[in-house]
Amino acid sequence: MKRLLSIAASGALALTASTTVHAEDKLGAGITMYFQMGGNPGDGATLPRTNGARAAAAAFGLSLKEQYSGWQPETMLSQFREALAASPGCIEIMGHPGSDAFASLVADAEKRNIIITSGNSPLTKLKDQYSASGFGYAGVDLYEGGKLTAQKMIEYGGLKKGDQALEYGLRAQAERGKSDQGLYDTLVAAGLKVDYIEISPEVDHDSSLAVPIITAYLLKHPNLKAIGTQHGNVTAFIGKALKDAGRKPGEVTVGGIDLSPSTIDGLKKGYISVSLDQQLYLQGFLPVVQCVLSKKYGLTGLTINTGAGVVTPKSIGALVPLIDKGIR
Amino acid sequence: MATPESLRARLLRIEGLPINAVLLILVAVFMLVAPEVFLSYRIYMSFLANVPPLLVLAAGLTLLIAAGEIDLSFPSIVALSGWVLGYCIHDLHAPWLGLVLALAAGALVGFLNGVLVARVGIPSIIATLATQFLWGGLTTVLSQGLSYSLSDVDELFVWTLFVGRIGPLPVQCLWALGVAICLWFVLNRRRFGEHLLFIGDNVKVAEIVGVNPKREKTRAFVLMGVLAAFASVLLTLENQNFFNTQGGGYLLEVMAAVFIGGTSVFGGKASVVGTVAGSFIIVMVEAGIVATGLQGFWVRAVVGVVFLAAVVGHLFIQGPQKATTRRRLLHGKLGLNKGGEP
Repeated sequence: MKRLLSIAASGALALTASTTVHAEDKLGAGITMYFQMGGNPGDGATLPRTNGARAAAAAFGLSLKEQYSGWQPETMLSQFREALAASPGCIEIMGHPGSDAFASLVADAEKRNIIITSGNSPLTKLKDQYSASGFGYAGVDLYEGGKLTAQKMIEYGGLKKGDQALEYGLRAQAERGKSDQGLYDTLVAAGLKVDYIEISPEVDHDSSLAVPIITAYLLKHPNLKAIGTQHGNVTAFIGKALKDAGRKPGEVTVGGIDLSPSTIDGLKKGYISVSLDQQLYLQGFLPVVQCVLSKKYGLTGLTINTGAGVVTPKSIGALVPLIDKGIR
Repeated sequence: MATPESLRARLLRIEGLPINAVLLILVAVFMLVAPEVFLSYRIYMSFLANVPPLLVLAAGLTLLIAAGEIDLSFPSIVALSGWVLGYCIHDLHAPWLGLVLALAAGALVGFLNGVLVARVGIPSIIATLATQFLWGGLTTVLSQGLSYSLSDVDELFVWTLFVGRIGPLPVQCLWALGVAICLWFVLNRRRFGEHLLFIGDNVKVAEIVGVNPKREKTRAFVLMGVLAAFASVLLTLENQNFFNTQGGGYLLEVMAAVFIGGTSVFGGKASVVGTVAGSFIIVMVEAGIVATGLQGFWVRAVVGVVFLAAVVGHLFIQGPQKATTRRRLLHGKLGLNKGGEP
């Protein structure tokens, strides 16, 4: 906690200083950082991270190079190789390909004194190995995030043993799938009967294609009590599928993730019951702080859980102005 | 009196009959295995609400492929025109202006594609791949990466006109049907369609007989751009949302709908009726398999099997000529024994 406070204080100092000093005097001046943003430029699960990273880069005077992978693990690896070839000061990587896939590349970077840190999906093995040289993690513990979503669904919807539920997720993806696994395991542990459907790559890219699939499932299972997903854009379309299937708001407890405009509408109208808030802005801002402080002062890597709460129809109202700006 | 053979031949002259038969068989199978879903009107209303953008895109692409060209940039037109419409509704409160500008943006992108392909001479697969990145990237720049919620758009007449409901029936299915009928007439009854098929079959011969390939290809790209923009209008209004990445999942699905429908990948032969059936099959298959109760990682694999079965079924229904080819393939004589049938 002390470390977190000291980092926050450093960040605040840097921000304050940024208003009075020239760019070349800022703490991060001269540092170049490659940053894997995750999805596609501007998608709901990526934009706040981009904005957070840009804000921190501007505050510290750091040169930020953004990389977008469309959440494809193989693209993340090739982008890491490209970043290494440019010999920057720091690289932030997404954990989706897993520790083993990144191991040799990170070892090479460490030899060359490039600070590596991670976000959104943890690389526990590598973090343990290289935390002394600044390898940190800013993101949700994915399994715990899924678990929390399920717990809040159970609490919000009064779900009980024997109730029927659907999990629509991406468990086939090694790291990203952990949040879906957490959600699934928690619902099963609570005694619910849970069906699982894997999200197709087409739905992953354009989630409006999920509507007839979820609608068909809802019609097949008239007694369905809950739907869970940890896919931000799919969360946004569950309300429409419920409507198409003739279900009223609140009839089915829906647990999702992130806060895209459609998800906000779904929360306001009561179609979506809970949505995990990862506070993506922090996942952009904090790795830049990590990079600058590790590069300048040799501070070690920090593990920061950026999201420990859910948004509900009751709490959404206050967040809307910030969501509209791409901050929440 | 007609013999059974001549009756079959006459039936097979009906455009798109094999693929429509496959579609009906699929619906019948799903009705048998998941009656609670496929005997309910709601699933069909969901299809009729969600198929139209894909159908409009696929119908437009059918004409381009008939001319031996391809357009890979339409997902970005869906995003760009969606942004134009979304911006005009969200920020300017001018939905009709948005509609006109969205269609104009599609036409402009289509025209530029046409110029690059027909006038500059860049192969369409390369030119439109490049413009896909260009217009997709530009959309992100223009929208600043933001999505727009258009939750109040259902109070506007433009929403009622394009995606409203007549009882439970989504209006967009009538628009999509209208587009398909118009394109069928263009392809089969108008000189423009005839020229496209001619160009797709043999561009040199087409030129000799007086067809202007540059002009006709440019027109086809413009038409594709306008239709992609119209698909975007339907998608954006139906979703009551502009998503910065919208359209991205349609590329393979639209192409699959066109090719399943019987349009030749080499050009010169195309079927709008087949494309309509192909579009419904594409959207229906995964929903149908989920409705059968299949779960987990198997769904995707079974979707592939059903697609394959649809294509094979299509070939078997199609007739003696294809059957001969199949027999030759089975006997390993294709290309080896020029003597023909044993």
